[in-house]
Amino acid sequence: MKRVLQTLAFLAVLGAAAGGAIVFGGLYNVSAREGHWPGVPFVLHTTFRNSVDLRAPDPSVVPDLEAEGMVALGAGHFEGGCKVCHAAPGQERWAIPTVMVPHPPHIKEAVGTWSPAELHWIVDEGVKMSGMPYWPATRTDDIWPVVAFLQEVDGMDADTYGELTARPSVPEGAPPDLPYCAMCHGIEGRSGNPQIPRLDIQPQAYLEQTLLAYAEGRRDSGIMHVAATRVAPAELLNLAAWFAAQETAEAPATPVDDLNLVTAGEALAMRGTKEVPACTSCHGPKAEPRAAEFPRLGGQSAVYLAQQLRLWRDGGRGGGDRKNLMAKAAQGLTDADIAALSAWYAAQPASR
Amino acid sequence: MRVRSRLPFALLPGLPGCTGRQSVLDTAGTDAHTLLTMFWVMLAGLVVIWVAVNGMMLVFRHLSPRRHDEALARKMIVGGGIMLPTVVISALLAWGLSVMPDQRAPGDGLRVEVIGEQWWWRVHYWPEGAEAPVVSANEGRLPGGLRTEFDLHSDKVIHSFWVPALGGKMDMFPGRRTMMSLHPDEAGVFRGQCAEFCGASHALMAFETVTMPPEDFAAWLEHEAGPAVPPEGEVAERGAVVFAEQGCGACHAVRGTAAQGQVGPDLTHVGSRHSLGAGILEPTVENFAAWIDHTGDLKPEVEMPAYDDLPGDDLTALATFLMGLK
Repeated sequence: MKRVLQTLAFLAVLGAAAGGAIVFGGLYNVSAREGHWPGVPFVLHTTFRNSVDLRAPDPSVVPDLEAEGMVALGAGHFEGGCKVCHAAPGQERWAIPTVMVPHPPHIKEAVGTWSPAELHWIVDEGVKMSGMPYWPATRTDDIWPVVAFLQEVDGMDADTYGELTARPSVPEGAPPDLPYCAMCHGIEGRSGNPQIPRLDIQPQAYLEQTLLAYAEGRRDSGIMHVAATRVAPAELLNLAAWFAAQETAEAPATPVDDLNLVTAGEALAMRGTKEVPACTSCHGPKAEPRAAEFPRLGGQSAVYLAQQLRLWRDGGRGGGDRKNLMAKAAQGLTDADIAALSAWYAAQPASR
Repeated sequence: MRVRSRLPFALLPGLPGCTGRQSVLDTAGTDAHTLLTMFWVMLAGLVVIWVAVNGMMLVFRHLSPRRHDEALARKMIVGGGIMLPTVVISALLAWGLSVMPDQRAPGDGLRVEVIGEQWWWRVHYWPEGAEAPVVSANEGRLPGGLRTEFDLHSDKVIHSFWVPALGGKMDMFPGRRTMMSLHPDEAGVFRGQCAEFCGASHALMAFETVTMPPEDFAAWLEHEAGPAVPPEGEVAERGAVVFAEQGCGACHAVRGTAAQGQVGPDLTHVGSRHSLGAGILEPTVENFAAWIDHTGDLKPEVEMPAYDDLPGDDLTALATFLMGLK
């Protein structure tokens, strides 16, 4: 017994000495050029696959990925956040990712046979020690547009991708970052995409607060946090001024055909109930003056409105300095209320 | 021994609590008089019984600790221990039951519907024959010399309606109506208080009850039913703009304006009330401003969010406007 203990103690000391030599003596070669020892890539890759399999959400949580505008919104984010490593469909990777270890696969190869739920998990969580970052927000519902885009990647050619991510040419004197914003929001703040809010209805103070909140992570959105941090804070204010100066198109962003829903929404929005404040008092349309910090909702996209109302009700949306007001206001909303309010507001003529 | 002998003196500072605006001993209504009479009679009886029981203990244990006649002892146990309590308690029960209907006697026409909220009161006046109520909040006004019915219920949790100077208390339940009536016979301002624990700010859920001569009450009710009279002056007018800009009307109604919210108290004549924040603050411009600026500090877990982003000038203007809604 004593001999066994002595042997174990000797081995432990030997192991500690070897570990110390590697960590403190610099014996292990961290060179990326050297790559891994034989067999290690197999172990790492198999671990990665099985780890994702085990943890990916149930397929039943996957929303309708074919909903209008999902792919385009996902492509916009991919263009700004993912293309740098994974290359766009129809393009080759540039030099840098090809000399990373492990090297980020071309996007067609990366999507491979992963299911939508698995892709959502990978984009959300990232992959440790591979260079794949995790989603830069707590809220994860806006990962689905990216997944929707990834589902389309296999058959996509360079032209289609180019159309999805085209940066419009902007007028002389426009903020230099406008083309990047306009890729999704349009030069005049009208995206034409129900997944993307229109900005031509918003006052400058609201846009400024919102862009700064996105940049500083006080409003929770992986897509807009990435977008807003690519631009210098001073430039964000210029962009807010640009969109606030655009003429408001009166036409609603999305046509709504369910009149019952619109009527139910009107009563709730204009008068409220004992549980729900009257939306129009802050968000219009109304004749009295309104604070410029409150967003205008008339003519906004119904899809976007419903998504934001759910985020408000369920908590953690974040926002500008007055977010405590809306967090309180939305707490009593039912799913039916949200559908009705979104439909009514989307059908209203827009005004700033 | 020294400590014990001083105890009664230590209780003396509490005595002023027996009088005042929220006391069952300082009554201003028929129902409260009845309850007070009952209290005094019971207290007097209690003193008699207490003295008798302790007197007998003293006599039989200390002054005359010999063996007593068993027949007498048996009579005392049967008489004093069974028959007397049965008679006394039955009499009290009969008396108590006999006055209970009075506490719910039909009114002389006016019905006041009071709805318990977290933590405030919706108050709807239904004059005889009215099809729609006169909506107010956080204050009760009653005509003196007349009996007024109270129709009580609650929004989310159980509350209890109690104006000690005017009558007994009655619980308010979500989804169920309870009824009581009050007959004030003295003009004055009396404090009411929620008497059933209802959450973080239960203790801060109070209200003032103003009793007034019937003709004054009629004039008041007519004014209360009318639309708001916008206060004049530059500051108050700026306050009305702030009220609109900040969307206060989403939760609060000011009749006669676009503000039609139903979530919080009706503010049409808020400046004429005797208290602010459901009985917790004096209605002054400073207190209105403080309330809007940091509601949650003054009333924990209150539903109204704090407007601590409002610039001081706007806050003062808004407070001035609200104080001007007479």
